[in-house]
Amino acid sequence: MTKINTICIIDDDPITVFGMRKMLQSLLICNTINTFGNGKLAIDNIKTIIAEGAALPEVIFLDINMPIMDGWQFLQEFIELPIQDKVRINIITSSIDSTDQKKWQHYKDKTHHTVTYNNKPIRKNEIAQMSIVA
Amino acid sequence: MLKRGQTTNNNYLVKQLPKATVFVNRRKVIVFVSDKWLNDFQLAGNEAIGKNIISLFKNTNLEWQKGVSECLKGLPNLILTANYIDSNKNSKWFELQSTDWFDENENVVGTILQVEDVSLRVLAENKLEKLEILSKDISDKAEIGFWDYNLAADKLIWDNRTKAIHEVAEDYIPNFIDALNFYKVGNSRNTISMTTNKAISQEIAFSEKLQLVTAKGNEIWVISSGKPLYEKGKFSGMVGTIQNINERHLTETKTKENQHLLRTLIDNLPLNVYIKDLESRKILANKAEVEYCEALTEDEILGKDDFAFFDKKTAKSSRQDDLIVMRDLKPILSHEALHIKKDGSTTTFLTSKIPLKDTDGHAYGMVGISLDISDRKKKEIELRNLIDVTSSQNKQLINFAHIVSHNLRSHSANFSMLLDFLASEKCEDEKQKIMNMLLKASDNLLDTLHHLNEVVEINTNTNLKKKSIKLNTKIAAVTKNLSGEINEHNIEVINSIPNNVKIRVIPDYIDNILTNFITNVIKYRSPDRASFMKLSSSQEEHYTVLHIEDNGLGIDLQKYGEKLFGMYKTFHDNQDAQGIGLFITKNQIEAMNGKISVESKVGKGTIFKIYFNDKN
Repeated sequence: MTKINTICIIDDDPITVFGMRKMLQSLLICNTINTFGNGKLAIDNIKTIIAEGAALPEVIFLDINMPIMDGWQFLQEFIELPIQDKVRINIITSSIDSTDQKKWQHYKDKTHHTVTYNNKPIRKNEIAQMSIVA
Repeated sequence: MLKRGQTTNNNYLVKQLPKATVFVNRRKVIVFVSDKWLNDFQLAGNEAIGKNIISLFKNTNLEWQKGVSECLKGLPNLILTANYIDSNKNSKWFELQSTDWFDENENVVGTILQVEDVSLRVLAENKLEKLEILSKDISDKAEIGFWDYNLAADKLIWDNRTKAIHEVAEDYIPNFIDALNFYKVGNSRNTISMTTNKAISQEIAFSEKLQLVTAKGNEIWVISSGKPLYEKGKFSGMVGTIQNINERHLTETKTKENQHLLRTLIDNLPLNVYIKDLESRKILANKAEVEYCEALTEDEILGKDDFAFFDKKTAKSSRQDDLIVMRDLKPILSHEALHIKKDGSTTTFLTSKIPLKDTDGHAYGMVGISLDISDRKKKEIELRNLIDVTSSQNKQLINFAHIVSHNLRSHSANFSMLLDFLASEKCEDEKQKIMNMLLKASDNLLDTLHHLNEVVEINTNTNLKKKSIKLNTKIAAVTKNLSGEINEHNIEVINSIPNNVKIRVIPDYIDNILTNFITNVIKYRSPDRASFMKLSSSQEEHYTVLHIEDNGLGIDLQKYGEKLFGMYKTFHDNQDAQGIGLFITKNQIEAMNGKISVESKVGKGTIFKIYFNDKN
């Protein structure tokens, strides 16, 4: 398995973040895991990285329901950023709202990045599948 | 030969005869002539005596010359009428009468020719003939027969038309009694008997519409007229006419029946039907329309236009429609319009207006047909409201289902994940950490359940009664409770709500609502400026509106407008924010049939408007 440099988790629920981190760490597939409590903090960070010309995260785990900037708003801004590389974005949600599925379809078709839609809870083997570079 | 003396003598006698007379000898030479005769033919004495009578008339018309010649042929007592046209084209009719002229020895010596001007009589005869032709024509066309009764001879004469009407043969000989017996037993027979009696005894002419049974047994309607005749003040007979009006009567009856049918029909239609003239004045109105106009009879509203019943605006627009229909000759069909009567009562009508055209194709009025759809309209509105409420409830329900499932699922996902870890974890420290996480997750779940329960209670607890409460009393109580925080953050409270403003609310809810909004003002104040909270009120339709304005952080409504009142939505980087306050508040306001709106600018402040329903 190819080692990933940076994975980014965007979720406001500390328990989910704890679990994700734990699973990723046990898989030993990446060097750095960054977490952000909402979309705003994450997008600001990514913009800084682009400005500094540093390396972007290769895989992003994205929650939908978050304060200030939710997952969809983050995704909207993210796909508009001038990013050449393909980034893998895994949407992780407990939502069963069909409109969320439709939104995912919409964004998936709109961008060259890989966008997946996953329902909670996420198992360890699923995390491994989702952590392959796009 | 006559002697000369005698001749002169005789001539003198003849000259004075009152009748136009001429004595012509056998050679047709005029011997004696009366002055009257000379006068009739405009001749002088010397122009006639001794002249041949034929040659005297040689310049007149042939008919006259022939007539005179005929008379001189010596036929006994010949009388004929001939037309005489003189040289001036004057036409006269003469009756010529010739007798033999005897001498004292009884020898025929010539002819005595007497003429009488009968022009007037002939003209009268001609006229009569014409009248007869005319009357026959009339009698044929109008089926009018003539009859004549002579009392002295007890003789009744029917003309052929009268016989045809009675359907008897042309050789039928009627009599007075039989004639009366043709009338139908009952009213017709009684009437004819009475009126003929009256005609005879009181000299009164009659004309009656009666029923007759013909010889062939057909019942027909006739108009029987009669006029008594008198000779020297004594009743001498009667003349009269009889007219067959059966077809006319049947047509009239049919027309009447049709009219009645039509009237019954339009009067019993559940529609307002009326006819208007070019000036939009009613010339017909059915029962429904009469009742709608609150009139007792149709006559009360005939001749009146819409301005007499409706308010100006309704009448004007109705007149406009009438004019368009009558101008374009095209009907307006099923046009829905609200009619406001003078007393302010309203009716929604579905109206059709159809132009009435005369034989030349010009409009002379219009027919209006209106269906009262007020009830339907009302039900439509009720139904629409019901649909609105239902769909909004449905939306709420779906929303709630999503909230529940989402929140419960996220918790259960966490439980399952943490338990998974716990099962495979060896390190005690890590186990403890996971246990703590599980406890936290459990607390979170309880919190969520508590919040959801609160929402369910608000939406299902419809038993809570609304009370009329002074708004300022509630505001004072809530601001007093929060006075610690208000003072701590130096928030200026500016209340311009009049003391008499009351709202109809559930007391528990209004406490929570006010607390929530005022707390929000405190929570989301701007650190950059002195904060204020302005409270004011207004009235919009059947809502009393509370305005809560602050100069706090503000919210980007473009981004968050949709989610502002959602569950677990927070918009500021604020540790206290739970995302439940506005959600519950909104549910409580809607449970009281109110609504909520928001205006906000980031960095400037926010105005919340809370609409309290005054009605229900």
